[in-house]
Amino acid sequence: MASSANEDVKGSTGDEGHNSETKDEEKKDDSIFECNICLDTARDAVVSLCGHLFCWPCLHQWLETRPNRQVCPVCKAAISKEKVVPLYGRGSTKQEDPREKVPPRPAGQRTEPEPGTSFPGFGFGDNSFHMSFGIGAFPFGFFTSTFNFGDPRPAAAAHGTHQHMEEQFLSKIFLWLAILFLTWLLMA
Amino acid sequence: MAGMSPSERRLQKELMSLIKEPPPGVSVDTNIAEQNLLHWVIHMEGAAGTLYEGERFQLQFKFSNKYPFDSPEVTFIGNNIPVHPHVYSNGHICLSILTDDWSPALSVQSVCLSIVSMLSSCKEKQRPPDNTFYVKTCNKNPKKTKWWYHDDSV
Ligand SMILES: [Zn+2]
Ligand SMILES: [Zn+2]
Repeated sequence: MASSANEDVKGSTGDEGHNSETKDEEKKDDSIFECNICLDTARDAVVSLCGHLFCWPCLHQWLETRPNRQVCPVCKAAISKEKVVPLYGRGSTKQEDPREKVPPRPAGQRTEPEPGTSFPGFGFGDNSFHMSFGIGAFPFGFFTSTFNFGDPRPAAAAHGTHQHMEEQFLSKIFLWLAILFLTWLLMA
Repeated sequence: MAGMSPSERRLQKELMSLIKEPPPGVSVDTNIAEQNLLHWVIHMEGAAGTLYEGERFQLQFKFSNKYPFDSPEVTFIGNNIPVHPHVYSNGHICLSILTDDWSPALSVQSVCLSIVSMLSSCKEKQRPPDNTFYVKTCNKNPKKTKWWYHDDSV
């Protein structure tokens, strides 16, 4: 993408385009990989969940500077050591181990994709999800059980707890299932 | 740029970009900055169509070797200190990004633009209500003042 943008610029300036101008353009393209703190090309790069790029040493120093108020330097979103993602470019896995450096860069986290065959949502009977797949009752029964927004469910967990997150996750899955089912009905 | 400290490297980069692409009404005194990268003087013009149109001000930036993790010390200097509800007659500025809300992603340029916009949004030229007391009692370094940030709408 960057190279095509460069070609556009070159094309518009034509043959008279000076070398220095194209160089500047290239520099500007590079600047999207600059650390937001030291303004150099990010080394031991990490990216925050809000998408902002930093050198890990730079970000670490900032987090140390204000330990009780850790916000993204760019957008002020909450930020923490645990929630930054290291970026490994092709050339970045050289012999030198980034962990040798102080401070160690947080490691990348991998979550295994869920196995596609067994759906963990089914058989969750004792919870507040009741799915009725009887075609007659569909879609109303389906909708009332799935779209219970703001419903004061007696079993609802307190906001922010792990269980609550799980429930939200599940209801999202059910919502998608409903959409899939609907499209399937329409297609059929 | 070899042999420079991280703060000097960053200041050198900022200086170059400020010389190359200065924001409207803002220019850096290159002689002073090149003598000592930790001390800059910025010339600033009051924006057209505001109460400060036609006025010229000087801003002094002092950086520590912890910059940009540590905010710069920014004051108006010279014989024309803007008359503004957040600017004391000794040049101290009550602006949260200069202390509590400082972030290392801010820069000399973004500080200048904030100050320009602070001046531009002013509706009535007046000193802060506690100007006399503050100027008599304050530390020379405005960063030592525990500012209580009043409304930013003025
Ligand atoms: Zn950096
Ligand atoms: Zn951010």
